[in-house]
Amino acid sequence: MSYALIVAEARRGIFEERNLDSIGICTLLGKETVMLLPDGQYSFNEKLVDSIIKVKAGEEVFLNPLNMAAIIEKVSETRGRPDFIVFTHSSSGAESAAYAAGLFGFPIITDVSGCDKERGVFFKSYYSDKLFGEFKTTGDATSVLTVRSGSFKEFAAEKAAAPREEVIEGVTVSDSRTFVEYVEEEKTDIDITKADFLLSVGRGVGNKDEIPAYEELAGLLKAVISGSRPVIDKMWLPKARQVGTSGKTVKPKVYLAMGISGAFQHIAGMKDADCIIAINKDAEAPIFQYAHYGIVGDMHKVRDALKGIVKG
Amino acid sequence: MNILVFTKRVPATQEEELRLINDGKDVDFSKLPFKVNDWDNYAVEEAVKIVEKGGGAVTAVSIGDTESDEVLRRAIAMGAKDGFLVEVDQVLHDPFARGALIRNFIQKENVPFDAIFTGVQSEDDQFASVGGILAALLKLPYVSMVIGIDSVEKDHMVVRRELEGGLQERVRVTTPCVISIQSGINEPRYVSIMGIRKASKVERKSFKGKEYDAGKEAHIELVKWVYPPKKGGAQMLGGELGDICKKLMEILKEKGVYQ
Repeated sequence: MSYALIVAEARRGIFEERNLDSIGICTLLGKETVMLLPDGQYSFNEKLVDSIIKVKAGEEVFLNPLNMAAIIEKVSETRGRPDFIVFTHSSSGAESAAYAAGLFGFPIITDVSGCDKERGVFFKSYYSDKLFGEFKTTGDATSVLTVRSGSFKEFAAEKAAAPREEVIEGVTVSDSRTFVEYVEEEKTDIDITKADFLLSVGRGVGNKDEIPAYEELAGLLKAVISGSRPVIDKMWLPKARQVGTSGKTVKPKVYLAMGISGAFQHIAGMKDADCIIAINKDAEAPIFQYAHYGIVGDMHKVRDALKGIVKG
Repeated sequence: MNILVFTKRVPATQEEELRLINDGKDVDFSKLPFKVNDWDNYAVEEAVKIVEKGGGAVTAVSIGDTESDEVLRRAIAMGAKDGFLVEVDQVLHDPFARGALIRNFIQKENVPFDAIFTGVQSEDDQFASVGGILAALLKLPYVSMVIGIDSVEKDHMVVRRELEGGLQERVRVTTPCVISIQSGINEPRYVSIMGIRKASKVERKSFKGKEYDAGKEAHIELVKWVYPPKKGGAQMLGGELGDICKKLMEILKEKGVYQ
């Protein structure tokens, strides 16, 4: 049986949950699954894959696109060329996937959130999830995929037998790109992951001068203010207030999203809130697909009307 | 340091409804405005800042139709020395084909550089892979999701890249290299209409994309476009603004977050 090579991610010894989506798509495609992991002991259900290859290298060496290309080459020498090389669509997954595709001349489809095995097509987001492109690869080369978190994990299924394990040693390590250190985010007084009620503002807020009025509304409602990436990028709110994959994952009782369209990186950070209320002037904004309640309208007018009600 | 920065003209779809035509073979862009790709704006700014501090020059490059000249003029108004347009008559959906075209262009025209900057991804196709493919094709080191450039030395840079959950990774990379810039790394400077008008007097060179076709055959094919699958969807609150807000307040009370 042909096989799929899964490049798993582990940061600071933790097996990332998004690896389950890589396993899921390979199971769905009916491939023997061979998972690459850096050296170490990880906590996860190993029976979800057919084989595990531990690479004698730390995670900082492993999660480096230049080294990863050398590791893939080494695996291919002994096992033959995989049908698929599957990465998570994360900071490091997307980086290594692109480099490997370029180096080996393999087709690449990124941010895959669905597939139709019979038709051989993969669904990929365009225009912030407003459209999806159906893509297929041409020729019979190995296909490189990066997989969107949360899209395929339900397809991961236990195998009958425990995985075969092997170790790869002697990986060529690049000296042109080297890991220096991890940098932690600065600690702040407010931890948005602990809040029961988050009032989150997005790109729709328009400009910095509007922010104090939302802070005032949050204060009146006894909510904590947070934001999506565009607002944090412009430094209108501090980085510690960012909700999303590169910020914080939150699970409040109520998440009030104002002027947030719903990029999947943002959705990944707040989709587990008990109640999501979204306000956006674009009725087609993806966030309405995830919200429990929606209001199509001008966020500033809603803000002022809410203030009026609370102040009586 | 001489830096090549790739900048792309993309449709501004943030607040627009997208309409499929020709049974999903095409998207109707006829009524949409166009703009510079957001991530590229940060990449241009970062390159200009490095050159302002340490010397050298920034050259902006765009792959696209003749209209893409507008993003080159914008980059020049921000501080790029000049601009190259590689004209292609159709959108290259395949990031490998795009990377190969850029590689061919750089090599055939002997374009000098110490570093190549791209945005992390394009707002339209969101592939996030042209930078990595280009680096591999040029046999150069690559770092993506760069959210900070801590130092620029003669033969290397130390950069910070963004990981998930607020964590960052500091990395040393030798030059020449390819760097993909993440949004939020800086605050792109304001560009006035007058500045863009002035920039249009700076010469931009135009090249024909078909001159650089060798080995850029597409590896993937776009079969068709589809609308995203509908999920459960929200219960929409309708009526007058006052009534909507009262309903919202009732929900907050019901959920126990406001008394």
